[in-house]
Amino acid sequence: MKKNLLMKAVLAVTLFCIFLPMGVVLLWSITERWPWPGLLPESYSLRTVKELLFGSAKLPQLLCSSIFLALTVALLGTAIGILTARATELYHFPGKKLVHLASFLPLLVPGTVFAMGIQITLIRLGLSDTISGVVIVHLIAAVPYCITIMTDVTRAVGDKLEQQAMVLGADPLRAFFQVTVPSLLPGILSSMSMGFILSYSQYFTTLMVGGGRIKTIALVLVPYIQSGDRALSAVYSVAFVGSALAVFFVFETVIHVYQKRGESR
Amino acid sequence: MKRQTTIFLLLLPFLAVTGIVLVSIWNVLVQSLGYIPAFGLTKPTLDYYIQVFSRADFLSAVWVSVRIALWSAVFSVCLGVLLAMALIKCRKTRGGMLYAVRLPILVPHAVVAVFVIQILSQTGLAARFAHALGFLEDYSAFPQLLFTPSYLGTILAYLWKEIPFVAYFVLAFMSSISDTLGEAAENLGASSLRSFWEVTLPLSVPVISRAGLIIFIFAFGGYELPLLLGSTLPKALSVQTYLVYMSPDLLQRPLAMAMNGVVLLLSAGMALAYSMVIYRLNRKVGGVK
Repeated sequence: MKKNLLMKAVLAVTLFCIFLPMGVVLLWSITERWPWPGLLPESYSLRTVKELLFGSAKLPQLLCSSIFLALTVALLGTAIGILTARATELYHFPGKKLVHLASFLPLLVPGTVFAMGIQITLIRLGLSDTISGVVIVHLIAAVPYCITIMTDVTRAVGDKLEQQAMVLGADPLRAFFQVTVPSLLPGILSSMSMGFILSYSQYFTTLMVGGGRIKTIALVLVPYIQSGDRALSAVYSVAFVGSALAVFFVFETVIHVYQKRGESR
Repeated sequence: MKRQTTIFLLLLPFLAVTGIVLVSIWNVLVQSLGYIPAFGLTKPTLDYYIQVFSRADFLSAVWVSVRIALWSAVFSVCLGVLLAMALIKCRKTRGGMLYAVRLPILVPHAVVAVFVIQILSQTGLAARFAHALGFLEDYSAFPQLLFTPSYLGTILAYLWKEIPFVAYFVLAFMSSISDTLGEAAENLGASSLRSFWEVTLPLSVPVISRAGLIIFIFAFGGYELPLLLGSTLPKALSVQTYLVYMSPDLLQRPLAMAMNGVVLLLSAGMALAYSMVIYRLNRKVGGVK
């Protein structure tokens, strides 16, 4: 009994530590003046928020392009995850262990080292300073997670139902899309979430390969933090986290609606 | 034949990704040996590695990064496992609580830097509370936690993100062990603490150490957090390396790559240590069978 109390305390402290900074940033984003040593802001205003939303900073466009980039990476990463998982889980071939090991390789090479190493190749291929180049380097960061997630789901789902569908006359593509994909869907969405967030929060690789020409919200936020502008960095942070949460909300809703539909059938 | 083609096609995108990573590693190693024909450097040499190790700023940067990575990994693993255990014991392995624990995983590192500054800087919320409670006269009396050579701010920022990451990463595995073998041990009379310590924890070592390895390597090579929350001197390895890499003097390039080469070797060393732990563990568990 006493132990459970301790465990409950751990959870309470965790919740406090998670939500306190979020609350503070939210407060800072609508603060006009918050001088030392006040515990709460002296005056509030929506000026910074309005300026960023409707002014020359073009925050909405920035958010849209960052989200679009991250969704592209999430989609490609998940597709690679699905294909790789099918190969390793549904087939036997020599070197399977090697594929498993190699799928962790990007996690073992720090992003900074990878970006500096690949830059010369991307320049040669004409991919430096382009969206495609940035997608490629973000993809490297996302793929290990996508593969791990898709491997777990593929192992659980297997291909028995897909085989059944083919025995009943469906062609392989149709069997895959109409039978297997729906059962993989929860995994697909959690792999998309992981891919999305990994791309969305990349800073160094975007800076390096985008050459400053590809702007994402992470790239815009960092200089404000460096300059010590608390109000502006707070508004950008809220926009950053808020938009990511909005995307996740959509993902979760899709799963939810889908599972409801599955139950009512 | 057809089956082989299918397997090959399925693996093709993965092979492309792996190829890109290998090309990058190759580029780092080749350039670190001073082979960059575009800059007129064509004679492979180990000079740059020797030079790098004689630079004081490099050695202190290695030390800074190793310390950040080590503390971040050790504390997030210990506290993350504790959090996972709390979630399991309080039967909160799904639903609202889990969403809350997942939140920090979704928050980008740059935003975590904002959090840390707004709470722990000398005029941050913690200092304001200390003032309100009468512990300090002025903000200058609040200890400098950020932008110092101790890199405490950077480590705390990593912990905020990685403790929940570890908890989430190990949760599914640990809760399945705890619900089956852990329960069995308790039914046979073990206390809840003992069944955790002697059954659930040892069996979860592989997944826990994998989480630790991921965090170590990530924090070791991480860029934004030491940049935003660390001191100007000594710099973290990634920040120092990028500075040398971007130097207008192109002949510094192989030096930067030698620094990257050292990072790669250290990361590979950590991965090797990890796989040896796993190998020994597998043999031990196999022996029990």
